[in-house]
Amino acid sequence: MKKNFLNLGLACAALLSAPVMAQSMPMSDALYQSFGQKAGIAKVIDNAVDRWMADPRIQPFFKDAVPQRLKFSLTEQVCQLTGGPCDYKGQDMKAAHAAMGVNKAAFNNLVEGLQLAMDAEKIPFTVQNRLLALLAPMNREIITVR
Amino acid sequence: MKKTTLLASAMGLILSTGLAQAETNKLLLTGGVSTIAGSAGGGLTPWAVIGTNATEGEIGFSSYASRVKTQDYSLNGYGVAIGIHDRVEVSLARQDFDASPTVALNGIAPFGISSGEHIKMDVLGLKVKVAGDAVLNSDTWMPQIAVGLEHKRVDPGSLQSVFNFLGVKDSGTDVYVSATKLFLNNGLLLNATLRSTNANQNGLLGFGSAMPGKNSRSLQPEFSAAYLLSKNVAIGAEYRFKPNNLQPHLPGSALAEDDWKDIFIAWAPTKNVSITAAYVDLGRIVSALNPNQRKQTGYYLSTQLAF
Repeated sequence: MKKNFLNLGLACAALLSAPVMAQSMPMSDALYQSFGQKAGIAKVIDNAVDRWMADPRIQPFFKDAVPQRLKFSLTEQVCQLTGGPCDYKGQDMKAAHAAMGVNKAAFNNLVEGLQLAMDAEKIPFTVQNRLLALLAPMNREIITVR
Repeated sequence: MKKTTLLASAMGLILSTGLAQAETNKLLLTGGVSTIAGSAGGGLTPWAVIGTNATEGEIGFSSYASRVKTQDYSLNGYGVAIGIHDRVEVSLARQDFDASPTVALNGIAPFGISSGEHIKMDVLGLKVKVAGDAVLNSDTWMPQIAVGLEHKRVDPGSLQSVFNFLGVKDSGTDVYVSATKLFLNNGLLLNATLRSTNANQNGLLGFGSAMPGKNSRSLQPEFSAAYLLSKNVAIGAEYRFKPNNLQPHLPGSALAEDDWKDIFIAWAPTKNVSITAAYVDLGRIVSALNPNQRKQTGYYLSTQLAF
C-alpha cells in the first residue's frame, strides 16, 4: 500500500516535470533488462572506470576520486537512468563536475572508454547507443570549458 | 591554378610541421568523410559537421584521394582540409575529369578539342558551424547547423571553345546551409543541405549559361541518411538535386543534367583512416556523346586520413 502511494507520488512528479525528465526517465525498463539488469550494468561500469583510471588523458580528472565509490555511484545512476529499480542519491551532474574543468575532448575520451567497456562486456551496439543517447545530453552540465 | 597548388603545399607544410601532431579528440566518424568538393560530409553533399578529428579547442588536418568511374567518364580528386576548434573548416580540392568522349564534338562543329582532354577544377571551401551539436544533444530535435561556400575554378583545356559556345563562366561560388542530426538512440544520421548554385555538372561544365540556357542561380536541396552498423561502419544514401541550365542549347536531352544519387558504405579501420565506397548514379552527362544517351552509373572510392 505504502509503495503504491510512493509510485503515485513519483508518477505525479514525473508528469509535472515531463518536458525536462522525458529523456532521463524511460517509460519501461527495457534498456535496463538489455544490459543484464544491475549486475550487467555494474560489470560495464567496473570495466569503464578501470579504463578511465588507466587512460592518461582521463585519469587526471579523477585524481581525487575513489574508484570503488565512483563505480557504486555510476552503477546506481545508470541503473536508474535505464529504468531499473535504483535510486541515485549522488550529486547532480552540474555540481559534480563544476570544479573539474572538463572540455569536449575529455568528454569524448570518456565516451570512448565507456564504448570500449560496453564492447568488452558484449553489449550489442544498438543497446550501447540507447544508453549513450541518455548520457550524451549531460555534456551540457559536464563540459564547463568551451 | 598555380596559386591554389602553392596554397595547398603551404597548408601541407604548416600542418606537417606540428599543428596536426597535437592530439585531437573527436569521436569516430563524427567529422564525416571528405566530399568530392573537399568539404566534410557524405560523398556528394556537405554536412554541417566540421571535418578532421579536432574537437573544441583543437586544430586538425585531413587529406583525401577519391575516384569516380562511370561507363563513359572518370573523375579523380584529392584535397586537404583544416578543422579549427570544431567551428571553422577550410578545404581545398582538385578534381580531374577525364572528358575523352568530348572529342566527338569536333564532328558537330570545328571545336578543336584535343583527344583525351581532361577538365580540371579547384575548389576552395569554407564552412562555419553556427549552431547546435549534431552528436551529443540527443534529447532535442535541434540539429547542428553550418553555413558554407565552395568557390570553384575550372580549367576546360581545349574545351574552352565549347565553354565559349555555351557562354558559361569558368568560375562560380556555391553557397549552402546544412543541418545535420544524429539520432543516437537509433544510430541514424540525417542531413539536409540547401545550396545556391549556378554550376553545371558541379562546375565541370562551367557556371551559368548564355541564352537559351539558364544563367541565374537556383536553390537545390541535397539529402543524406546514414545508419551506423557499428562504431566504425556506416551505410547510407544520398540524393542531390541539380540545376539543368544547359539543356535548352540542344534539342532533346543531349545536354540534360540529372540529379545525383548514391548508396555508400564508410569504414574507419582506425581513428585516422576512413574508406568510403559507393555506387553512384550521376544521370546523363552530355549524353549526346554516349551510346543510347545512357545514364552514368558506376563506383566511387575515397580514402581519408584525418588527424
